[in-house]
Amino acid sequence: MLAAAGEPWRWDLPAGVEPPLVPAGNAMSAAKVELGRRLFYDADLSANGTLACAGCHEQKRGFADGNAMRPGVHGDPGRRNVPGLANVGWLPRLTAADPTITSLEAQALVPMFGEHPVEMGMKGLEAELPRRLGADACYRRMFARAFPEQGGRIDPGTVAAALAAFERTLISLDSPYDRFRAGHIDALAAEAQQGFGLFKTLGCSVCHAGRDLSDAQYYQLKPAEPRDTGLAEKTSRAEDAGRFRTPQLRNVAVTGPWWHDGSARTLEDAIQRHRLALPTASIPPLLAFLGSLTDQGFLTDPRFAMPDRACGRKL
Amino acid sequence: MQFRAAPLLPLLAATLFAVPASAQMDHDQPHCAALSELPAPLASWRTPSALQAAVDRKGAAARAMLTPGQAVTAALRNTPDVAYSVRPAKPGGSVSYGGLASFTVKEAGTWRVALGSGAWVDVVKDGKTAVSVAHGHGPDCSGIRKMVDYSLQPGRYTLQIAANGEDKLTLLVTRLP
Repeated sequence: MLAAAGEPWRWDLPAGVEPPLVPAGNAMSAAKVELGRRLFYDADLSANGTLACAGCHEQKRGFADGNAMRPGVHGDPGRRNVPGLANVGWLPRLTAADPTITSLEAQALVPMFGEHPVEMGMKGLEAELPRRLGADACYRRMFARAFPEQGGRIDPGTVAAALAAFERTLISLDSPYDRFRAGHIDALAAEAQQGFGLFKTLGCSVCHAGRDLSDAQYYQLKPAEPRDTGLAEKTSRAEDAGRFRTPQLRNVAVTGPWWHDGSARTLEDAIQRHRLALPTASIPPLLAFLGSLTDQGFLTDPRFAMPDRACGRKL
Repeated sequence: MQFRAAPLLPLLAATLFAVPASAQMDHDQPHCAALSELPAPLASWRTPSALQAAVDRKGAAARAMLTPGQAVTAALRNTPDVAYSVRPAKPGGSVSYGGLASFTVKEAGTWRVALGSGAWVDVVKDGKTAVSVAHGHGPDCSGIRKMVDYSLQPGRYTLQIAANGEDKLTLLVTRLP
C-alpha cells in the first residue's frame, strides 16, 4: 500500500499524552512515515550496502543492539553502545554526549555520514543516495508523495527527514509500568512494586526521571577514560570529562549490554556501577521493576517491523 | 535479555553466545601481528576451494554444493540478482553481494557456519530457516569474523549469504565434534 500524499498523520497515543514536537520543516505524514520505515531497513544507506539503521537498531531489542559496540561497515571499531529508540521523539538530547544534536533529523545524519567513528560510511558518497534509491521506481514514487514541496527530491536531507518521521512513531507506552501508572495496580507484581519503591527511595529516579526515566542531563559515574571523554569531547571543558547523558530506561531489560560503552554485561552490574550503597536484597526487586519497563507490544508491533511490501509489490 | 557465554566446545578457543532465534552478532576485530592456529574443525580455513555461489535455491542444489569441513572462497552475486528462498532478516542493499549454496548433513549434531565477514547467514530447509543455537566470533587473528551454530538433522540444506560488502567471501560449514 502506498500512503496517499498529504494524508494527515494520526498519532495513536493514550489519553492525556501529547505528541512529540515536530520540526516546522518536517511535518508528519503517512507517506513520510511509510518511506522512513522502508529506509530504516534499507542497507543502501551504507557505503557498501551491508548495514541498515535496523542493522544496529533491532526491534526485538527495543531498537538497541546485542553488541557492546559495533564495528562500522569498513571495520572501524565502534565507540559507544547502541541506544534503544523507544519514545525518541520526546527526547531532548539524542546522543550519549553531544548536546548539540537535538533533532532526529540531525541525529540520523551521524551514523550515515559521521567519521568519529565511521559507521555507515557515507561521507563523500552523498550522491550515491539519489543514484541508488532513485534507480528504484517505487522509491521515486514514495519520495514524490512524501516530499511534494521538494519535488520528491532524494538527498541526505529528505532521507534524514523521512527517517526522523518514522522514528517519531516508535512509541512505547504500554509496559506493565505504564499500566500501573495509569491506575492498574495489578499490572506490577509485588516484587516489581517493591523495586519501584526502592527506585524512588534510593534516588535512582532523581536522574532517571519522568515518564521515560531520564532527565537528559550529563553525569560522571566512573573515572574518565582517554578513549572516550564523553561530554568534554564537545565542550572542551575538563570538568565534563567522563560525563554521559542519563539513558532513558524504556525496555531496558532487553537493550543490553549496558553502559555507554556496553561494558556492563548484566543489568545488575549496571546498577552496581551507580556508587550506591545497595543492600543485596534490593537487587531482585530493582531488576523486577526494570523488567516491568518492557513493552512487549512495542517489541513486536508490525508497524515498526521490516516492511515486506512497497508500492503493492513484494520486497 | 542478556547474552550468556555458552558452555559449548571451549576447545575451539572462540567466543560463543547462546542466542535467541535469528540473532547474530558482530564484533570489533583485534589487531593481529600473526595468524593464530586453528582447531581441527576449522583447519581448512586457510586452504579454501573455489565456489560460485548460486542466485537461487535450485542453482544452489545443482551447482553450488559445499563439502562439510572444506572451506571455500565463494564468488558472490550482486544482491539484486539473488532470489532467496526466505527473505533474510538483514537483506543487503543493491550494492552488496550475496548468494546461495547447499550442503548435506549426514549426521545429526551441531553444525557451524564460519564466515570471513559479518555477512548475514541463514540455513534453510523446506522453506524454513533453522534457528541458531549459538554465535560469536572466530579465534582471534584467525580471519574468521563470525560463526553461527545450528542443531541440524540429516538432510539437504540451503545456505543463504546476504549483505556482504565484497564479491568474494571465505566460508566454511562443518560439523562440530
